[in-house]
Amino acid sequence: MIRFLRDMMRVLRLPCREHVVLFSRQIDAPLSRGEAFGLRVHIVYCRGCRRFREHLQHMQSLGRTLSEQTANEPGLPADVRERLNVRIARAAKKN
Amino acid sequence: MSHSAAYDRGLANMTDADSITPLTSGAEATAVPQNTADSRQDAARRWIAEHGDILWKFALARTRSKETAEEIVQETVLAAMQAYGRFAGESSERTWLLGIAAHKIADHFRRVRRAKSPGSPAISPDATCVCATCRGMFTQKGMWACIAGKWADFNQSEAEKREQTAALRACIDALPPGQSEAVWLRDILGIPAGEVCKGMGLTDTNLWSRMHRARVALRSCLETKFGLRKEKGR
Repeated sequence: MIRFLRDMMRVLRLPCREHVVLFSRQIDAPLSRGEAFGLRVHIVYCRGCRRFREHLQHMQSLGRTLSEQTANEPGLPADVRERLNVRIARAAKKN
Repeated sequence: MSHSAAYDRGLANMTDADSITPLTSGAEATAVPQNTADSRQDAARRWIAEHGDILWKFALARTRSKETAEEIVQETVLAAMQAYGRFAGESSERTWLLGIAAHKIADHFRRVRRAKSPGSPAISPDATCVCATCRGMFTQKGMWACIAGKWADFNQSEAEKREQTAALRACIDALPPGQSEAVWLRDILGIPAGEVCKGMGLTDTNLWSRMHRARVALRSCLETKFGLRKEKGR
């Protein structure tokens, strides 16, 4: 509980420049519960950070859409596959 | 929805083959693979068979040239053969290969950019403000200098979706080498951050700050260069 409050207060006292770093970090690794809650409280009244988070979410879902598009693209062509296997065999003999 | 659906599908495809090779069984570090020419060749053939598609798509998406993509995939597999036996199984085999490919692609772009225009980055690594009238995102005290507008929902129409994904692709291409590849692995292929770190040989904090810089640059690129259409009432 103490840690929760301490983390929350620390986050609330940070300037927005640091909040932005935490929003991005949150995508890659979980924040502590206090930190995450601090951010949630902050965006209630901070329009700039709220917008930044919206944009991050927008880019994340746009990234997923791009990922689905590339998933449907053709894979390694047969002729390239063949050439690669030949070169691999040659390289294996050399070493 | 799982962020890493495409990646998970890939992993699901791998499991059968994994069970017949000691190389990918990660935790069992005692099972050192035999490092003979034949075993290296077998492994490389298997990499091409199992991971060739994703390596090809990654290289082609980044370089947009079939010749260069072929070179990258070849260099990746040859480098992996050299390092065969040193793969410790800390990450999945697929991530390990993607990590090698990421370095090869970044090297390729460093060479190309140096040859084309020495010393000029494609887009400023400093986060420029996303509004036309001010510079830098923050005031000296670290508060917002200006507030960007809302972006139009890309699910509105197929045309909007195509336009926005194309813009994202172009902006990723414009990032500095190393950042583009990290974004591609992390935010497009949806590979978990821990795996990307192992694959690219980065620490957690390295990756976090690289991703943050990249995302801020992508945001301002999308906003200024391509001007995602705004919704009414910002």
